[in-house]
Amino acid sequence: MTIATGDSTIMIGIDTGGTFTDFVYIINGDIKVLKVLSTPSNPGLAIFEGLDMIQADNTFDFSIIHGSTVATNALLERRGKKTALITTKGFKDLIEIGRQNREDIYDLNVDRPAPLIPAKLRFEIDERTAHNGEIIRKANRNKLIKIIEKLKKNRVESVAVCFLHSYMERTNENIAAETMRKAGFNVSPSSEILPEYREYERFSTTAVNAYVAPIMDKYIKSIQKNLKDIKLRIMKSNGGVISADTARKESVNTILSGPAGGVVGGYTIGKKAGFTNLITFDMGGTSTDVALCPGKIITSSDSKVAGFPIKVPIIDIHTVGAGGGSIASMDSGGALKVGPESAGSDPGPVCYGKGSRLTVTDANLALGRLDASHFLGGKMKIHYDKMLKLLRKTAKEYGITPDELSSGIIRIVNSSMEKALRVISIEKGYNPAEFALVSYGGAGSLHAAELARDLNIGTVIIPLNPGIYSAMGMLFSDFIKDYSRTVLIRAREDSYNTIEKKYVPLEDRAMIEMLEEDVPKGRIKMIRMVDVRYMGQSYELTVPFKKDYISGFHKAHKKRYGFCDENRMCEAVNIRVRCIGETKHPRIVKEKTEKYSKSGYRSLGSREVFNGKEYVRTSVYDRLQLRSGNEIKGPAVIHEYSSTSYLPPDFILRVDGLKNMILKNN
Amino acid sequence: MTKAKKVDPIKLEIYKNRFQSVAEEMGAALQRTAFSPNIKERRDFSCALFDGMGRMIAQGDHMPVHLGSMPMSVKCVIEKLTLKRGDTAILNDPFRGGTHLPDVTLVHPVFLPEDKEPSFYTANRAHHADIGGMTPGSMPLSTEIFQEGIVIPPVKFEENGRINKALMDVLLANVRTPGEREGDFLAQYMAAKVGEKRLKEIVEHFGRTEVFQYLDHLQDYSEKMIRVLIKSIPDGKYTFADHMDNDGQSDEPVRIEVEIRIDGSEAEIDFSKSDPQASGCINAVYAITLSAVFYIFRTLVEYPIPSNYGCMVPVRVIAPEGLIVNAVYPAAVSGGNVETSQRIVDVLYGALAKALPGKVPAASGGSMNNLTMGGADPETGEQFAYYETIACGMGARPGKDGISGVHTHMTNSLNTPVEVLENQLPIRILSYSFRKNSGGKGKFTGGDGIEKSIEFLTDASLSLISERRQIAPYGLKGGKPGKPGENLIFRNNSSGKLNAKFNISVTKGDVFTVRTPGGGGYGR
Repeated sequence: MTIATGDSTIMIGIDTGGTFTDFVYIINGDIKVLKVLSTPSNPGLAIFEGLDMIQADNTFDFSIIHGSTVATNALLERRGKKTALITTKGFKDLIEIGRQNREDIYDLNVDRPAPLIPAKLRFEIDERTAHNGEIIRKANRNKLIKIIEKLKKNRVESVAVCFLHSYMERTNENIAAETMRKAGFNVSPSSEILPEYREYERFSTTAVNAYVAPIMDKYIKSIQKNLKDIKLRIMKSNGGVISADTARKESVNTILSGPAGGVVGGYTIGKKAGFTNLITFDMGGTSTDVALCPGKIITSSDSKVAGFPIKVPIIDIHTVGAGGGSIASMDSGGALKVGPESAGSDPGPVCYGKGSRLTVTDANLALGRLDASHFLGGKMKIHYDKMLKLLRKTAKEYGITPDELSSGIIRIVNSSMEKALRVISIEKGYNPAEFALVSYGGAGSLHAAELARDLNIGTVIIPLNPGIYSAMGMLFSDFIKDYSRTVLIRAREDSYNTIEKKYVPLEDRAMIEMLEEDVPKGRIKMIRMVDVRYMGQSYELTVPFKKDYISGFHKAHKKRYGFCDENRMCEAVNIRVRCIGETKHPRIVKEKTEKYSKSGYRSLGSREVFNGKEYVRTSVYDRLQLRSGNEIKGPAVIHEYSSTSYLPPDFILRVDGLKNMILKNN
Repeated sequence: MTKAKKVDPIKLEIYKNRFQSVAEEMGAALQRTAFSPNIKERRDFSCALFDGMGRMIAQGDHMPVHLGSMPMSVKCVIEKLTLKRGDTAILNDPFRGGTHLPDVTLVHPVFLPEDKEPSFYTANRAHHADIGGMTPGSMPLSTEIFQEGIVIPPVKFEENGRINKALMDVLLANVRTPGEREGDFLAQYMAAKVGEKRLKEIVEHFGRTEVFQYLDHLQDYSEKMIRVLIKSIPDGKYTFADHMDNDGQSDEPVRIEVEIRIDGSEAEIDFSKSDPQASGCINAVYAITLSAVFYIFRTLVEYPIPSNYGCMVPVRVIAPEGLIVNAVYPAAVSGGNVETSQRIVDVLYGALAKALPGKVPAASGGSMNNLTMGGADPETGEQFAYYETIACGMGARPGKDGISGVHTHMTNSLNTPVEVLENQLPIRILSYSFRKNSGGKGKFTGGDGIEKSIEFLTDASLSLISERRQIAPYGLKGGKPGKPGENLIFRNNSSGKLNAKFNISVTKGDVFTVRTPGGGGYGR
């Protein structure tokens, strides 16, 4: 493979994961990969260690794109900074009441996540704006100054300012935000973070931002200090990057940036391999992330993290609690369950030595799909006998054979992942048969082919180094900034111009902020979208804003829900501008592969592998020895350092010019 | 149907998930295309699947109060109508398969290729914002069913692939917001078809024989789980009684009493000693009582199980006709579904607390605080009708406090966002927060209720059906009861207390404040 970069500065993608921090860069046509053990208490240490190692071997100038889990972990582990809320009089408990529902209707012990901002740090101001933007009562500065004393006494660092109807008129929020900023607080006003209506979701997003921003601010500053002049960009959850300075203020946009990097990486490699419609499939230890990319990466604004709604655009990733570490158990009604409980990496599967409950990885080992001598290139000790003993004992308890149990575990975990794939495709009006599946992440390639078969997906793409796709994706990310505003305008023919005018201030702001990121004007692109619904509905569909956007909406409604009503009045709810600042991506040149041949490679040997019905003799290959143009007929197992792939009997595998393995169902 | 000799635990799990996800997908489609705030914002709807005999296969985790009552709808449709290919039934008649009139149910038969009889039914029920009757929102203080709106017995909504236009015209002529209703009916209709499509795909994928075998296995599975639960309850008789504040017509409390008889893996739930049906609107039809029983057993099972027919096989519900728990035609029932259902749950848990100490929580707020308002919008002149429910405090649990401001037991509907409300209705919300210190004290404290204040920006009619204004939600094991709720009106610079159930006219500038009950405390 020859990869040429178009820039003298080398970009390094760095993804901080739970176990490893991955580094990827492309130099002189080669993809270089480095894995360093993560340092969770101070993630920066692993970054500097890796950079030192890279610099010791190289002399090039470089810049960094970093996918950070700092904001995510601060939220998940509740380690954010002390945050206060200033809100409209009468509504200080609203962020705790949420939508007044409970997550599980049949669980008497159900809990609500404890609010990020406790009651004693929630303050009310006697201000009010009406739904039409009319200011009924102005925010009073003196009242705000009195609150400042209390905030200081409580050692508050960050303040969320959340007033009703501020998406329509932000004067009162500006007064409060300005007063608080002057007093030295890190301030997040809801009208800046997410100027869209529906107060709980807006307030929640703003509170999350306020909670994690000081942590992110400190983290980025500490990295910048060590990097000195080296340019640092941060990966966002919408699949784009932003400068480190922007990320410090809008930290909520970086939550879920790791999985976002993976989707960009998977989508990019799938496209380079010649496919347009792609589904990305990332199976890890505890969960599986899937995303539908019909010719483009889709974002949605419907996410929830740690129980809190986050309504900023995030790559539309669907997650299901099924992974290599998912635990198998039988319930008292006699149904076998797999997941969502996971053995994770500690204690891990039984075969890793410490685990005491069977997992998906154990089942794969029992079926011969994984080989005890090939974990992490043979560096990891595997306790095969311990797994086998427990498998036999458990199968006996359940009254089935060990093979029925282990193949059953695979079928159930596959059915959970199949459900996830159905949710993102069939349920949204897309036929999976028209897509190719890109499988990356450690565990997925053992399952991808069988999953594809169940959903009539004809092609599976397994890129080289599937374990580092989040970091890889960062090298192919552009600057992406999303802007939105609630407008609530009846969508008639004559309202096009009215709506059109509302885009102008959004685009002006987008242009200024993109230029601040040092993107040249010629590389800046604006995309206009609009959220439309039938007047009276509550859920919108996002369609391109063009002259014919109304008929575009009817078509989208028909595709998504099976019907539309062209006589019904529509309403434009939110306008959206996506501003893209194109960056220079490493260029990938494909090796020519006109013919595929079943010769020219050797197997490592063969072993008995369960094919779904019985054990058959199956050839085993080393991925590093496969060359572009090789073709293998299933069944086969292919080993590489961080992953193993299973090729069922009814599939053939071809190695393309990018060294991707392309699996096709016969 | 012949049963396979052996149940494959793997297939059992796969079928369970597959049917459940069909019900969930129907729900998602309905919510996203509906027009009533109750459906789209508050998720006051349910979707379920049935086999050809009308036995429930799966129900989405939507509204518990629909658990036992959806099967009654399908049963009635099968008895009264002969549905062919391209037909869909509609109904809301509480005495023929419904619960209360705003809950409109669609039942759609699913025919497999070349079959003459349906193999499945898909059904969905949604709470419409208005279905006619004496007050906007159709939750009036009524004394007979005719005042509550238009009654739809099981009839064909769609026949031979065409929507029955005459029926639609009659329905739309009888409701306050016809445009919105039409959209909701269409959303329900399309959701029923989504279910049909998915069921056919399942049969095509797995094959008919196996699918029907596993339908049976799934029923057995749920039955087995419920039997395991009942077996864990010591044999014996457990009784408990509690009261509704009143029926909205007189001030007399209405008693609901239960005796639970446990014998091995079977349970008899006997409501015979409850009061006769009331003249006011709090009567529950049998379907609601069944739902409440279904619900409490479902909550006590350790694992999530499919909500299907099998769950109720080991349970016998005795509720003689003419009682508050099995009202007969033409009783007023608008509040039975929403209020009486919660009290039935309270008495069931009260009785089981004696059998399963340490497993059952104290009483939750026990009211859905059903608020309806309507009138003419001064800006557009158009009629508006709005219905919402307001959460209470949750009863304290053995081992932890109750949650504040949350819907409990038979409902889980969302609130309508303040910013949505103010954009759509001529009202202004002045407060929406916790009602401090309303949860019952104890070792574990009951959750606080909610205080919500609404200012009217135009003249309107306002009604409320609420409970636990006099008789407080009980505490357990020495925990104190939750604070009863309060309804207040502020007009002309003075405030007045309103009854638990009322229907009044308000004028521009009036402010209505509701303070909902807190949950009971647990332990001393």
